[in-house]
Amino acid sequence: MRIALYVTCLVDLMRPAVGFAALRLLAATGNDVVVPPAQTCCGQPAWSAGNRPLAKTLAQKAIAELENYDAVVVPSGSCAEQIRLTYPKLFADDAVWGPRARALAARTQELSEFLASLGEPLEPPGEFAGSVTYHDSCKGLRGLGIKAQPRALLGRVRGLSLKEMADCEECCGFGGAFAENYADVSARIVDRKCESVAAAGADAVVGGDLGCLLNIEGRLRRRGDETTRVLHFAEVLAGETKP
Amino acid sequence: MNANARHSQAMHFTARAADKVRNPVLQQALQKAKPLFSGKRAKAMAALPDDGLEFEALREACAGIRDRALNDLDVWLEIFEENARARGAEVLWARDGGEICDLVIDVARRHGVKKVTKSKSMLSEEAHLNDALAAAGIEPVETDLGEYIIQLAGEAPSHIIAPAVHKTLQEVEALFAEKHGRPQAARTSADIPALAKEARGVLRQHFLSADMGISGANFLIAETGTATLVTNEGNGRMVTTLPRVHVVITGIEKVVPTLQDFATLMRLLPRSATGQTISNYVSLLTGTRADDESEGPTKTVFILVDNGRADVVGSHYQDILRCIRCGACMNHCPVYFSLGGHAYGWVYPGPMGSVLTPLYTGIENALDLPHASTGCRQCSSVCPVRIPLPELMHGLRQEQQRRGLRPWGERFGLRAWAWIAGRPTLYRALTRIAARYLNWLADGEGRIRLFGFAPGWTTARDLPVAGGGKTFFEQYAASKRD
Repeated sequence: MRIALYVTCLVDLMRPAVGFAALRLLAATGNDVVVPPAQTCCGQPAWSAGNRPLAKTLAQKAIAELENYDAVVVPSGSCAEQIRLTYPKLFADDAVWGPRARALAARTQELSEFLASLGEPLEPPGEFAGSVTYHDSCKGLRGLGIKAQPRALLGRVRGLSLKEMADCEECCGFGGAFAENYADVSARIVDRKCESVAAAGADAVVGGDLGCLLNIEGRLRRRGDETTRVLHFAEVLAGETKP
Repeated sequence: MNANARHSQAMHFTARAADKVRNPVLQQALQKAKPLFSGKRAKAMAALPDDGLEFEALREACAGIRDRALNDLDVWLEIFEENARARGAEVLWARDGGEICDLVIDVARRHGVKKVTKSKSMLSEEAHLNDALAAAGIEPVETDLGEYIIQLAGEAPSHIIAPAVHKTLQEVEALFAEKHGRPQAARTSADIPALAKEARGVLRQHFLSADMGISGANFLIAETGTATLVTNEGNGRMVTTLPRVHVVITGIEKVVPTLQDFATLMRLLPRSATGQTISNYVSLLTGTRADDESEGPTKTVFILVDNGRADVVGSHYQDILRCIRCGACMNHCPVYFSLGGHAYGWVYPGPMGSVLTPLYTGIENALDLPHASTGCRQCSSVCPVRIPLPELMHGLRQEQQRRGLRPWGERFGLRAWAWIAGRPTLYRALTRIAARYLNWLADGEGRIRLFGFAPGWTTARDLPVAGGGKTFFEQYAASKRD
């Protein structure tokens, strides 16, 4: 099977290690993994702002460069949701792009979904000496139904124990442009998340969406928490958790 | 200008929000209420299978009932009107808030009304009815405990089913002491029944002396001409049965075809709102007092209100009219619980308000509300009538874009970014520069504390930087060359 890794623009710019961790995990499945070279952004910021024409332009670009693979894997519930749920909506009435969008949507999976769906359970190469608490990102959870998969995978990491936090399904307050445009409100929401994280008392908070993770880490640090690690589950599974 | 917009503060959302997040007393009240609302609902929904019910199937049925009513709204309203008139009620129609006030004052004058007791009605908030009544020399008394509190405080409701949820116990104690003319006491939550009793003592006098009662209606039942009231405090019954005259003010969208439909909706309304299988009181009010009856009003008037609703019927946004006002969307909204309801600036707060306010007051008069959402979908996952609230907010965002209502900087920024994202070579070059710049700003600390390109972000957070100055694609290309 030829798998395309859709790196996502945030991982590319803000945390390349997540991309390399995803590559390592996908390679461990024994499949042929490709990083389509022209990929940039799935267009979600435009869609979220309500700009349908721009969202369509970027969706067409992504469809064209991703549609020739057996599977497309995304280390982000948010971007995976954009491809899977929004692309078909954008081209619902389009005789040419509609079928292409739907075909791509059917082959696109978020990373934990993909890894958990393999017949042979993945043996994570990573080790983690400590406890983690898992933040369910909204788009992955309520959009794609991702809940059990990352937990099952993390449960197979040697040394790792899972400590659930209260309200793990509650939004962290990121919301893309929301965090910038409504900074006060966003800060209040992420404060509640930080309090839940602190109460769980885990060594690390782990999630599957870099936007949420940057938001949570940024607020934890600003509040003076210098010790709680904030990690993408791919980094934990792949053992790329060096500080 | 839209008449509703004159009373709306929705254009000041950002400033009001900034104020609300920094109000420690408000935050304390909200923090306390949040787990109560969501916890009670969750428990009720978890118990549905014990009654042989299933949430998804039920809400499918409830949404279907509401759709059936809305798809032929004119027909069901005519059937309602005919049946209500046959039972002796008068049915009047109001285009907007001003007409509501005129009609109510006219009814009051015709019947020599000096004092009005009110059960909770959000329509009367849309109309600013209390102000109009007072100006006409008629005393309005709110009798729902929460509404009574905020009437004493001179405030507006901050929640559609818990109007005083923004107030702490201490604030209520101070208010009662001042308004009831007694010394202030130290109170704990064990004293809440005593405070309720105190209010009841005052309200009892009003119930007995009022000439007219005003209520809303949770639903109108077309086949019987009935108004239904779903309440917990019993004040609704006092308001609708003791005075000579009863006026029901409700939106035209509240009609449902049959009693059976009402029964189905009641499976989810109290459970979604307060986690109750059924509320303490469910009243079905039909017509006036019959000759052989000893109780009830001798005059019943229905005022059925448009105030923006008719324009939503048949539009992209019709699904919002399914709303049964349970409050579950705001009870599960991270934005609502960071601000309370007043920040939203008009009558309806939370996700349903972020859709209704632009529709009823004008999209151009509530630009922030559809954007003041993280898109978390917690609202639509609990809505008992499956309103796609995030999609409706998104529809409003698209309409703002189409009509050129977004700020110039945002529109230009989006276009420039999308133009670059469409050109991979340029995009790679610019992100390489950006990665170096971010790394330079992070200055070996792994974080940026003040970032000029996203000042909002760094007002409350650091920006973690972890690429060592190189993008993924740069590092990946280098690893391929090695």
